[in-house]
Amino acid sequence: MNGKKREDNVIVETIARIMAPFIQLFALYVIIHGTGGPGGGFQGGVVFASAFILYVIAFDLSGGRKRFPESANIFFSSFGLYIYAGIGLLSILFTAGAAQYLNYGFIPFTSHFEENRALGMDIVEIGIGITVMAVTASIFFDLAGKKEEDEKKEEEEPR
Amino acid sequence: MNKLEVAALVPIILLCGLFVYVAEDIPVFGDPNAAPIRYVEIFSIDSDEEGELLEQQIVPQKLTRGLVERGFPPPSRLEKVPGPPGEWNAFIAKDEAHYAREEKYYFIRREKGKLKVYRYAFVVRWIEKGLQETAVPNMVTYGLADYRGYDTLGETTVIFTAGVSVILLLRRRSRL
Amino acid sequence: MEWFIAKVLAKYNYWVFIILMLIGFYGIIAKHNLIKKIIGLNIFQTAIFLYFISLGAVKGGTAPIVSEEMVQKGYPYANPLPHVLILTAIVVSVATTAVALSLIIRLYQEYGTIEEGEIIQQLNKKELDQDRTSPS
Repeated sequence: MNGKKREDNVIVETIARIMAPFIQLFALYVIIHGTGGPGGGFQGGVVFASAFILYVIAFDLSGGRKRFPESANIFFSSFGLYIYAGIGLLSILFTAGAAQYLNYGFIPFTSHFEENRALGMDIVEIGIGITVMAVTASIFFDLAGKKEEDEKKEEEEPR
Repeated sequence: MNKLEVAALVPIILLCGLFVYVAEDIPVFGDPNAAPIRYVEIFSIDSDEEGELLEQQIVPQKLTRGLVERGFPPPSRLEKVPGPPGEWNAFIAKDEAHYAREEKYYFIRREKGKLKVYRYAFVVRWIEKGLQETAVPNMVTYGLADYRGYDTLGETTVIFTAGVSVILLLRRRSRL
Repeated sequence: MEWFIAKVLAKYNYWVFIILMLIGFYGIIAKHNLIKKIIGLNIFQTAIFLYFISLGAVKGGTAPIVSEEMVQKGYPYANPLPHVLILTAIVVSVATTAVALSLIIRLYQEYGTIEEGEIIQQLNKKELDQDRTSPS
């Protein structure tokens, strides 16, 4: 990819730039509509990560790294798990006498028992989606990367 | 090299024979009355006078004794299934430790002079009461995130651990 | 002829499951390339998922989403419990494949080959060299 000129890849680069935000929008749609139709956290998370993979295929690996840096990977993959465990601990706080973990009905979002359960499920699905997205994109970047010594050899040769 | 392929074919042929031998008990594809989908048969009684007792919605003694012998909770109330004659649903009473309210548990059917007693599978309660207990119409979502939420927490931990172990294996730097 | 239809053709999901599972099993045991073994593992897992979900199918039933018309007909839904369990199992399969592929990359960086026989030869040669040099 380094030897070719930039004009050879114009079509692929333009299409990848246009399609990536629509793919992410569809992924958000699949995650949030998990309760009304088919979908849910796992499915939407993988579709979200496929937008980053499309970007890496069109541009080089270093070009994809600019859009998904390491700090974002570390932050997002643990943030989703924190949300999930945090909702469980929150429900322990609100059932004071006999504490129950992950019983979403007692968290006072609204006034009905059943609607609290539906809202708790929504938040949990968003947490799952974030974690699955970060981990899938991170696995792809690691499997496609080169070893450190090969990178140093490539930098030293043109000198 | 050929020894490995021949040695791999031997357990495969044995397994094939075992699978063909077991193929009698496998249910037909798409059967709505097969065992795990709707109900499982427990036992059957020869009906002498239990049929009339069931018509008057009284639980017969033989039924209760036969169920308790096999370790099932005794039924408390009977109700007739609307539709073809000769089918009843039996409920069990509220038990503070296990069931929060009255549950539909047994299914009794009279065919050819015998009374067959079935027990409903757990999925029937999921399908029928899910929209009323959680205000969500998608059965798979409220099964994953509400009734089986603990399993999904472990699942998210599994995929997080996979991400961490791929990072550990593939990024070795000399100064670490 | 009726015996054939009732016993063999009516259970065709079972026969498809057996064929796929034995193909995957043969691939894990008898192939020498490491990547072909991982592909065999994936085929094996896919056969198991297929069989477990096909146990919950209902003839004339719809997808498991509650709607008003189906409630009046007497709940003819497909069984949602296998769907829930297999979602978890699919994610476990993805995680296992990712870790296995990264192990193969590390093996290639250390030994320079992916064939199983050559890796074992290099390991034996290393042991022989160590035995030769250490007592002397």
